[in-house]
Amino acid sequence: MDPTHFVHINTGSPEPIYRQLIEQVKRRVAAGQLKAGDEIPSVRELAQALAVHPMTISKAYSLLETEGVLERRRGLSMVVAAQHQRAQSTADRVELLRPTLEKAAAEARQLELSKTQALQLFKSILEEAP
Amino acid sequence: MTSPHFPHTETPSAELHGVSLAYPKGDLVLKGLDWQLLPGQVVGLLGRNGAGKTTLLEALLGLREPQAGTVQLFGQDAQLLDDATRARIGYVPQHSDLFEGFTPAQLLAYFRSFYPRWNEAKVEGLLSRWDIARDKPIRKLSGGQKQRLSIIRALAHEPDLLVLDEPVASLDPAGRRDFLRELVGEVLDRGATVVFSTHILSDLERVAFNLAFMSEGRIALQAPLDDLLEQVRAFTGTVTEMATLMTRLNAQPLKRTPLEAGRERVLARLPAAATVPVGVAVDRVNLDDLFAELT
Repeated sequence: MDPTHFVHINTGSPEPIYRQLIEQVKRRVAAGQLKAGDEIPSVRELAQALAVHPMTISKAYSLLETEGVLERRRGLSMVVAAQHQRAQSTADRVELLRPTLEKAAAEARQLELSKTQALQLFKSILEEAP
Repeated sequence: MTSPHFPHTETPSAELHGVSLAYPKGDLVLKGLDWQLLPGQVVGLLGRNGAGKTTLLEALLGLREPQAGTVQLFGQDAQLLDDATRARIGYVPQHSDLFEGFTPAQLLAYFRSFYPRWNEAKVEGLLSRWDIARDKPIRKLSGGQKQRLSIIRALAHEPDLLVLDEPVASLDPAGRRDFLRELVGEVLDRGATVVFSTHILSDLERVAFNLAFMSEGRIALQAPLDDLLEQVRAFTGTVTEMATLMTRLNAQPLKRTPLEAGRERVLARLPAAATVPVGVAVDRVNLDDLFAELT
């Protein structure tokens, strides 16, 4: 897998880089873009591709291993864990979006936006070309 | 965290205790400063202009003798380093100290003679990649080229401790990214200890696993950036509410900013896994916020 396009990171975010890595890998596994047995870039490859401290990468990988997303193979690169044969159900994937939307909902209430106004914005963002 | 890339060793790469330093007829720049850099750490040094970052790095390297306190590098007095220990250190000063009349090839050949180790393949690779003319007088190079040459000189002898004072100020974003990749390589290959100051926070955020905030002549706080982003929160409320909240959360206040009408904003570090009570106004912070509040 090309390490430069494996994940991307945002600097200036309150979200630590290792968290950003974990969440992106989880979403890609949930969507079935990464499947059981797929090799992921080594700590060295990803650290150099992203110009990020290697400890940040190994911290993210270790936590992904603990959570059963990745598996370590002796002497080889890590792979996506065996139970992730296919994309998760739509219901499960929708659920992964909940924390982000809960945060957006709280902010919409603070801004005293109506439901229609907030949904309108979300809809137009979804319709924008990626 | 210990891993194959970061073997745990006992001797700190640099250790400062109670260091005080003033310039002649000047105020104290460093005021009883304590600081420790452990092998394999990449520490970003943050501070306002004039906070004394350069003075601190020079004192750390033994280039300035403090009036009080001790500075040790790899367990030796920084003022009395033996040659073998000196050869383990690489330094990129803020202002180019290259010999302007030399060409890059002459300069590097000169420095090569001082070091037991010299990675010629790395030097050649970087000169080509960073587009530095080997045979042009250094005074005719651009600011960015001089800075890159200074970095190459500091990396060539494969130092175990790399001290960089604003190393990327004249580099464009692509040049900076390339430089950061080199730094990551230094850490991967040798577990080098790196300390660098910069105002470009996005660079620090990538490579500096640990941050040191300099304020009022001391290292006011040093911690892993990840921990700070996860544990530091900004609260706003009346002074009484804030006092109660800090006690209740067992939080460590880092900065208090008085607001109107008996209210204040408190930046505080919470214990790991603390939960903020429902209904309390709380904001997360990013590195820019931490810099603005803690330096």
